[in-house]
Amino acid sequence: MKRSWQILALLMVLLLVVTSCSPAPTGDDPAPADPAETEDPADEEEPEEPAEPADEEEELIIAQGADAVSLDPHGQNDQSSSRVRVQMFDTLLMQDKNMEFQPLLATSWEQIDDLTVEFKLREGVKFHNGEDFGAKDVIYSIQRAIASPQAGHIVDMIDGDKLEEVDNLTVRVVTKEPFGPLLAHLSHPAAAITNEKAVTDAGDDIDITPVGTGPYKLKEWARGDYIILERNDDYWGEPAKTKTIRFRAVSENANRTIELETGGVHIAYDILPNDISKVEDNSDLQLFRDKNFSTTYVGFNAQKEPFDNKLVRQAINHAVNMDEIVEAVYYGTGNKASGPLGANVTFANTELEPYEYNPELAKEMLAEAGAEDISLVIWTNDNKIRMDIAEIMQNQLQAVGINATSEVVEWGAYLSQTAAGEHDMFILGWTTVTGDADYGLYALFHSSQFGDAGNRTFYKNERVDELLEIGRTATSVEDREAAYKEAQEIIREDAPWIFTWNGEDLTGASNRVSGFELHPAGHYRLHNVSLGN
Amino acid sequence: MLRYIARRLLLLIPVILGVTLITFTMLYFTPGDPARLTLGEQAGAEQLEQFREIHGLNDGYVVRFVNYIKNAVFHQDLGLSYRNRQPVFAEVASRFPTTLKLAGLGVLVAISIGIPVGIISATKQYSLFDSVSMIFALIGVSMPNFWQGMLMILFFSVYLKWLPSSGFNTFQQMILPALTIGTSTAAVITRMTRSSMLEVIRQDYIRTARAKGQKESKIITRHALGNAMIPIVTVIGLQFGYLLGGAVLTESIFGIPGVGRLMVDAIKQKDYPVVQGGVLFIAVTFSVVNLFIDILYAYLDPRIRSQYK
Repeated sequence: MKRSWQILALLMVLLLVVTSCSPAPTGDDPAPADPAETEDPADEEEPEEPAEPADEEEELIIAQGADAVSLDPHGQNDQSSSRVRVQMFDTLLMQDKNMEFQPLLATSWEQIDDLTVEFKLREGVKFHNGEDFGAKDVIYSIQRAIASPQAGHIVDMIDGDKLEEVDNLTVRVVTKEPFGPLLAHLSHPAAAITNEKAVTDAGDDIDITPVGTGPYKLKEWARGDYIILERNDDYWGEPAKTKTIRFRAVSENANRTIELETGGVHIAYDILPNDISKVEDNSDLQLFRDKNFSTTYVGFNAQKEPFDNKLVRQAINHAVNMDEIVEAVYYGTGNKASGPLGANVTFANTELEPYEYNPELAKEMLAEAGAEDISLVIWTNDNKIRMDIAEIMQNQLQAVGINATSEVVEWGAYLSQTAAGEHDMFILGWTTVTGDADYGLYALFHSSQFGDAGNRTFYKNERVDELLEIGRTATSVEDREAAYKEAQEIIREDAPWIFTWNGEDLTGASNRVSGFELHPAGHYRLHNVSLGN
Repeated sequence: MLRYIARRLLLLIPVILGVTLITFTMLYFTPGDPARLTLGEQAGAEQLEQFREIHGLNDGYVVRFVNYIKNAVFHQDLGLSYRNRQPVFAEVASRFPTTLKLAGLGVLVAISIGIPVGIISATKQYSLFDSVSMIFALIGVSMPNFWQGMLMILFFSVYLKWLPSSGFNTFQQMILPALTIGTSTAAVITRMTRSSMLEVIRQDYIRTARAKGQKESKIITRHALGNAMIPIVTVIGLQFGYLLGGAVLTESIFGIPGVGRLMVDAIKQKDYPVVQGGVLFIAVTFSVVNLFIDILYAYLDPRIRSQYK
């Protein structure tokens, strides 16, 4: 019976072979792989031990919750992809931390008439593939973005056929209707500028072949695992401070903090609220936190009884103790919302007061509305935070005599049923990605946007419609500001939402990291970040 | 024998068709509009329509199923991921080496622990060694992988700072995940080796061997283990096949980009083509591993071999 041993030995050898010769994780990225970069285990270990002074410049390692989905500038618009893409692509202009516009590929811009803005472009800019940047690239990129299912909604107010090349460094962008927030939209990463030749050359590999003008270019992408970016030495601006950046996908939230604590990464995005103290109490680490553009809200069905009555909606706002919810569910991060927009959004009305928690007043208002015995169901999708909110609210509403229950609905069904108006109340979030009030209000409160388009509360107020249209079409900042401030007052008063929470970004970093800055849009440019000792 | 293998391979066709039909149907009737789910609640109507057009979502159930089968058979095309527009086949195939590596290392660890411990436990039944190893085996079988993984991260990464807590590129990064998978699989193999050996050891031919004065070590390794091997190989094969489908929990805990995590992410993101392709892939690998094990039986056991003649 020697066979059994032979087989066992065979199995072991087989497994060893399988294990050792399966290809290194090169992903499916044939193009930018550098032949000199083939696997050498000794080299690979280096980034794992940041304590050791490396002879070469050390790699900056960043952990985020998911791998990028696509590096096509006009592809999938998720946060993980954007956070990598903004290092490689420039937009015409950008908004800084304080929402002021700063030049990038455009050096200046001028409103020519209600529909047209003229951009003067930067001279001597080169793409990663060596092509020169010019007006034709802007036109090509915007047309391409308009046609993209993922990026289209950011730029589709622009009339793609009327984009005009005045000369090689001057381009005119024409919108279909007058559009006030145009500059904010052109600052969004989905309006990134790429090069036609690069896109044609990439063909089907466009998702893994990013060619931009930014301070970094792609070096290697092992899908699902990590992305390595390398400094673009031909960058038009000040060159990036760190030579290479590695974005690692670490999906377990707690693991990102552990990697940070053990020195496996230098920066960890999206620290869990209950890990904050671990980072703050560790003398080797620093915590960056700032409010972002996200908001969570509990929407009513404003066309369904009894929620069609403003008094009932206000009463419910008074019946909810939002401080308790922010403390219990969000561990005190972010802040309770006082209106439809977070304070850092351009044209947010910061004078609004949150609804006061006053169960007695709530009861009185319900009595006055003749709605003492209402039953309602709060819908939520399968999301821990939203389920917790629903449960707490349910209890708080029961305390004022409302027969409230909550129900978890599968995400797909949730979106289609709230779009069809089958709900009483539902919990959703919204991110004002452009940082402009238009994006945070129009889709959610304009009566033309009922259902799927964004207004799932079916809220309609003619004055609000009018103000939102003024805000969208006026090109003067003062007119827009006045319109939005008034609109927010009315919306707060009408209370189609229970105004819930404005989000906060939490990023942990090693003390060796300097030059890192958060941005409320959630994607951070890293060319100023460097690693000290 | 060849005819047997050919027949088994042909039997794969109905298995694959059945798996495809079931997953396709289930995913088709899952509520929610994939376009809306993928593009998010902020996307506009035009974008949604465009998405449905690209992925052929406007056709009916039968048309879509027939198209799917047609593309799969004639173009080896399992469709495009909703989320990143990559071909599903390439997506799954690119993750497979990592999973193979993880499963291979895990089973390697498991065999090197499980078989020796199982043999010693069986030969020294009711000894202290036997009791202790059976308690550990029970713990190993009962302790969930994700918990064990987290404990190991806490101890080896956070407390001792010896090993990295996630990733799967360097040798150091592979140790913890391989141990996590290896020890729980080892527990299964130990128990199976022990009970299978105990059964064989009591047989008459073993007594005969002892009676004729054969050395005890030879009796155990040659006469007993050889005949006890079949159930052990079965268990190893099943475990290996199961691990090739992606050790979902271990891959998630340690941030390993394998097939399991791809599937979990795809399910979370409702990326149906990837879910569909992944299930299909797992079904095929599992069947092939099983076939391989069946052929091993024949090699191991002359009685079985003779049946195929």
